[in-house]
Amino acid sequence: MNRTTEKGVEILFFCSAFISALLTLALFGFMLMLGLPLFAEGRFFSILTQPWAPHLGQFGIHPMIAGTLAISLLSMVFAFPLSLGCAILITVTSKGWVSRLLRKAVEMMTGIPTVIYGFVGIFLLVPLVREFFDAGSGMCVLTASLMLTLLVSPTMILFFCDSFERVPVAYGTAVLAVGGSEMQRFLHVTLPHSWPGILIGFTLSLGRALGDTLIALMIAGNAVQAPGSLLDSARTLTAHIALVFAADFESLEFKAIFACGIVLYLLTTLLVMAVRLLSGRKERWTR
Amino acid sequence: MRVLEQAVVHFSRLCGIILLGAVLTVIGYLFVHGWSSLGLSLIFGATPPLDALLMKRHVFNGLFPAVAGTLSLVALAICWAVPMGMAAGIYLAEYAGPKIKAILNLFFDIMAGLPSIVVGLFGFAVAVFLNRRFSGAIHPCLLISSMALAFLVLPYITRTTQMALEGLPLSARMTALSLGASRLQNIVRVLVPQSLSGIVSGIILAIGRCAEDTAVIMLTGVVASTGVPRSLLSHYEALPFYIYYISAQYTNSEELASGYGAAIILLCICLVLFLLAFAIRKRISYHALYRA
Amino acid sequence: MDKTVKIRTENLCFSYNGRAILCNSSMDFADGEITAIVGPSGSGKSTFLLTLNRLWEAIPRCTLQGAVEMRFNGRYHDIYGRDYPVTRLRRQVGMVFQVPNPLPMSIYKNVAFPLQLKGGVPKENMRSRVEECLRQVRLWDEVQDRLHASALDLSGGQQQRLCIARALILRPEVLLLDEPTSALDHAAAKAIERLLLELKRSCTILLVSHYLDQVSRIADSVVELHNGRLVSKAEYD
Repeated sequence: MNRTTEKGVEILFFCSAFISALLTLALFGFMLMLGLPLFAEGRFFSILTQPWAPHLGQFGIHPMIAGTLAISLLSMVFAFPLSLGCAILITVTSKGWVSRLLRKAVEMMTGIPTVIYGFVGIFLLVPLVREFFDAGSGMCVLTASLMLTLLVSPTMILFFCDSFERVPVAYGTAVLAVGGSEMQRFLHVTLPHSWPGILIGFTLSLGRALGDTLIALMIAGNAVQAPGSLLDSARTLTAHIALVFAADFESLEFKAIFACGIVLYLLTTLLVMAVRLLSGRKERWTR
Repeated sequence: MRVLEQAVVHFSRLCGIILLGAVLTVIGYLFVHGWSSLGLSLIFGATPPLDALLMKRHVFNGLFPAVAGTLSLVALAICWAVPMGMAAGIYLAEYAGPKIKAILNLFFDIMAGLPSIVVGLFGFAVAVFLNRRFSGAIHPCLLISSMALAFLVLPYITRTTQMALEGLPLSARMTALSLGASRLQNIVRVLVPQSLSGIVSGIILAIGRCAEDTAVIMLTGVVASTGVPRSLLSHYEALPFYIYYISAQYTNSEELASGYGAAIILLCICLVLFLLAFAIRKRISYHALYRA
Repeated sequence: MDKTVKIRTENLCFSYNGRAILCNSSMDFADGEITAIVGPSGSGKSTFLLTLNRLWEAIPRCTLQGAVEMRFNGRYHDIYGRDYPVTRLRRQVGMVFQVPNPLPMSIYKNVAFPLQLKGGVPKENMRSRVEECLRQVRLWDEVQDRLHASALDLSGGQQQRLCIARALILRPEVLLLDEPTSALDHAAAKAIERLLLELKRSCTILLVSHYLDQVSRIADSVVELHNGRLVSKAEYD
């Protein structure tokens, strides 16, 4: 009796894990199934490269892919140095309660809802950008990536801090022992030894930036065009899904959002694989 | 060389100032503009609060339906996600062999990384599928939304459970076993209670994630105005969606003010949940286990 | 007079992460004696104890070959046999660790815990068994008025005696002790030594120890673990 319960519960645990994992596959399956017409006659590839022109019967998502990449990569350009600086501030430059307080503040920041950034973006940042650059509506790639920077930085900072702290203390003490300063220890020992962790933090944050919907939807302007400059309005894959959603189920226009879903899924998988590869290296590195 | 070191110091300070400045500006801006709208009437409109809470009267120009919608949504999603997520986490940490673990871990990593709009699209696709296959009564609704949200936070709960269990030292693992505990007894009576702080803080973070998510629910049944949710299969309102909706569709300054108010409420809910999670991570083992 | 053999190991080989820790060790342990296991640190003394209650199975990347037999109810049992439940084995073979490991519960619950795990013991019975065991380890007088206080508030020596009481409540026939006094001060260590001398009337005791003076004070026989092999040493009186 006791042994059967024991076995039964184990099977229950296993099923939970297995079904959860299966759901991840099921999600991809559903995307493929509902987007099936897209794959007829080799249309999928052209969808990735064509422009979006429903009146011409073209439902390509190329502009959205370009918009997603532009906004997320630009936000990484802002967020990476900012996060690195903040992580250095927390782990090296500041001491004691200041450092703890900063860390707490950054941790709290990860809890701020995305929609809040979008909301404040609309009413505060968009008018600022509009007036400063004298650029149309002010809803553009630059605005969205600035707000996105605020969204992804906290996670990146925490990752960087962790990877700095993982570097064995003994390595650094050697520098201090020969009269080096804290900053020298950081620059010559900690930083070179924590690059795998830094890359992992970067990759994960890039994933977060690619996958965010609300900020781009609310403040990037949503124009269907591959952005030519920072002040152009753009639409991301995620925003596209949210916007086209209301249309007719059976139309090819609607099916195209499943192509967006598939592309986002594949991008995510790619980044996850990259992180796994990096963590494998990281383990070898720190051993 | 000293120049470089000095430069790094100054650079890091500058970054800190920029980041903190930006965040304080965001929060400060919300409070400055939304402060005046805060009050009971923000939530209940002209309806007496007690009547609204007892469902005697509808609330028309207040946030009550959105708050009620968000609360029921979060409660349902957590209901689905916690048992499943904890069970999966326990399996990964305590039962899975190295190979199965590596494969399952990959799936959970992908799951954790999926953009929430994709999860929402999945929820919507499932609703359409069920509608066609089984019953025309099924359409995007509270039930579908809560299940999609559960999917979204499932990897959080699984991961925190798994990590909390794996973080226990070998000695803690062996104590009960050496006293004749079976594997299950060891898990239920010793390992899970000892890692409760990690697990609970993970659950609280998952609650926060459910409360703030907008992308999933906008594809799976949230609407701008429908009143308090009547059943699992009905449409509902939610705070984050209300904020999004107001920002695009407001017609007068009163509506905009209530948008600011909603944003402050949501921000406070999320920050309080966060503080709670941090407090618990330190404290809960103390409180939950020291009872006689 | 020939002594009854309580535990018999045959060709025991143990490796962790591909590294051999025990090789080809065969040894008999006599019933009702205190056998001290000595050897250089890191030689695998603690690991050897874990092979006797199968606790090593909780550690990943370990392998074991060979056989261990124990005499229970007048018959030798293969403790790694398919039909021998591991939980029953661990109830018959108690273990006390180097660092006291009370669970984060009250004193009373800690001692009663093994009985609760076993199940089927009435509440009244449980109380008297707890009291009996706490008296046996001389802890009763110190804690009887705060049985429901946290066990973690006890001193190190008290905690270790609590852990012994917890192991004793199942009335084990074999007791494995892994340097039980090394985390304690002198007086507490002495108290535990006295306790072990009393316990050997009801238990077969295997004691891993670093302290040669302690070994000569209480051990009936000594086994040295050297280069992964168990070697019997001249018997102490």
